[in-house]
Amino acid sequence: MSIQINQMKKNMFQSGKKPLLTLWYVFLIAVLALGAVAVGLRFSQGLATTHLTSAMPWGAWVAFYIYFVGMSAGAFLLSSLIHVFDMEHLEEVGRDATLVAIICMILALCFILLDLGHMERFWHSLWYWNFTSILSWEVRFYGLYILLLLAELYFALRHDLVLASRGEGLKATLAGILKLGSNDTSAEGQERDKRMLKILGSIGIPIAIFGVHGGTGVLFAVVKAQAYWNSALFPVVFVISALVSGTALLTALYVIRSRISGKEIDISLVKSLAGWMVLFLLIDVGLQFFEILIGAYGLEEQELATLAAIFASDFSWSYWGVQMGIGVLVPLILYFNPGTRRSPTAMMLAGIAVVIGILGVRFNIVVPALTVPVLKGLPSGYYYPTWVEWASSGGIIGLGLLLYTLAIRYLPIDVE
Amino acid sequence: MSKRYGFVMLVYRCIDCKACQVACWAENEVPLGKTRNWITRDGYRGTFPHLSVDYLPGNCMHCDNAPCVSVCPTGASSKREDGIVAVNYKKCIGCKYCMVACPYDARYFHPEKEVADKCTMCKHRLAEGKEPACVTTCVGGARVFGDLNDPHSRVSKLLRKHRHKVLLPEQGTKPSIYYIMERPQEGGNLE
Repeated sequence: MSIQINQMKKNMFQSGKKPLLTLWYVFLIAVLALGAVAVGLRFSQGLATTHLTSAMPWGAWVAFYIYFVGMSAGAFLLSSLIHVFDMEHLEEVGRDATLVAIICMILALCFILLDLGHMERFWHSLWYWNFTSILSWEVRFYGLYILLLLAELYFALRHDLVLASRGEGLKATLAGILKLGSNDTSAEGQERDKRMLKILGSIGIPIAIFGVHGGTGVLFAVVKAQAYWNSALFPVVFVISALVSGTALLTALYVIRSRISGKEIDISLVKSLAGWMVLFLLIDVGLQFFEILIGAYGLEEQELATLAAIFASDFSWSYWGVQMGIGVLVPLILYFNPGTRRSPTAMMLAGIAVVIGILGVRFNIVVPALTVPVLKGLPSGYYYPTWVEWASSGGIIGLGLLLYTLAIRYLPIDVE
Repeated sequence: MSKRYGFVMLVYRCIDCKACQVACWAENEVPLGKTRNWITRDGYRGTFPHLSVDYLPGNCMHCDNAPCVSVCPTGASSKREDGIVAVNYKKCIGCKYCMVACPYDARYFHPEKEVADKCTMCKHRLAEGKEPACVTTCVGGARVFGDLNDPHSRVSKLLRKHRHKVLLPEQGTKPSIYYIMERPQEGGNLE
């Protein structure tokens, strides 16, 4: 029966009509169109289209930015672990992980670009280098990291690109350009690619951990004025939650794509990915508990006020509901309940729940800390995003989904 | 020795009239709803109805260890020789990192210039030999301005003579605004 359904689904995608795919594109175009209107308004009217204020200078866009930097770093670390430590049973998602890492990083940069008052001056942060600014270091790490990711994707795909370029049609033409003049299909060539992937992965792991995502955590942690951020554990939690969201996204993507393409699901692969995800999630929750505990014992007014804003304010549903409920409780129940733990669908849902939960984590990092004024007597901040902030964010995520859909269609991402 | 401009606030003289804010808005064409200076209430003492409170006028503290300067990715925020923390509007990319990092919330986002903006110590007035607008307008003379490196300046003399404090010393920012909390004898003066 399930084989029949899979066959039907396969037909839907590969026959001339492809209704599901058409529907997906219509959905993406709608999201992108709405996003384009919002971005247009943001361009013409500036940051007045947001609810950002002097007390609340960072909001949804910055939360999405660290969310996608984390997702990228998490996906990349997984792919590097696969290449560097020869985790062959996970190799099937290796290319997907690299692709996801690139797309997430592009989205992250789109988000932070929108947040700049002067978008056209983004290059100032490269040209005028303030040595003591973590942000200026981060911009450099992001650039280096994207180059590294592109190189890694190239060496992962090179062999299949050369093969694909020998066919006909759009896919072959594209492969012909992207193979960058290589025509080598020998076994030695493939060995060389593997070596390159190992080298790039080994360089990439410290860059991703300390430079890209740990560094993004440091960007927040060095701000002494925000007591809640100002802890040495903060960047560590950043990296762990990146691993959580990266593995969660790849688990969900693997199951969704296998379902759609009708490919047989490798249950041991799903279980292995979900296992990593849950392990990282448990470490993440434990470290966050320490962070909150130590902060609370410090009895610093700022810190206590921020914790109160997280746990008991008008917006604490995003902590209890999204971060802890959807992001921790749901996946743990799905993973440890004997009735669901062997079901790929349940693991997919667990992955999606974690991906949503980590978004709550990122919002709860950025927003509550800023609502508390440091100097007594100054106004406190109050923030929720405007429709322009939501719609533009949706549009950027839609762009990522479109890029991903096109990439898996026209590039040899799937291991044959 | 180079100059190091700063403020000394004679807190007992502040009556919370906010003339300093109005003068600053007018002098510097501060956008509606934003402000470069403020007055906060501090240290409620006693029980109702026998209460007293201090009013603390404030603005950018022009810190010697300015967090806004160290986090700025482009160097648009800088600490000048004369002690002023200045923003280069042409360099600023509007990332708002400085606004997040400032413990005094001294900065705002300029809605038309799309950059971070704040107190400049009225450096255009200093260039003409005048004092900042908030100082010349202060009704009670609570705001005193001058060169902290000049031992003969009024600010230096006041700081030598009276106990003073800075705001949020635990932040380690070394602000250039000092608060004298002492009160003179009835009818007296604190010079």
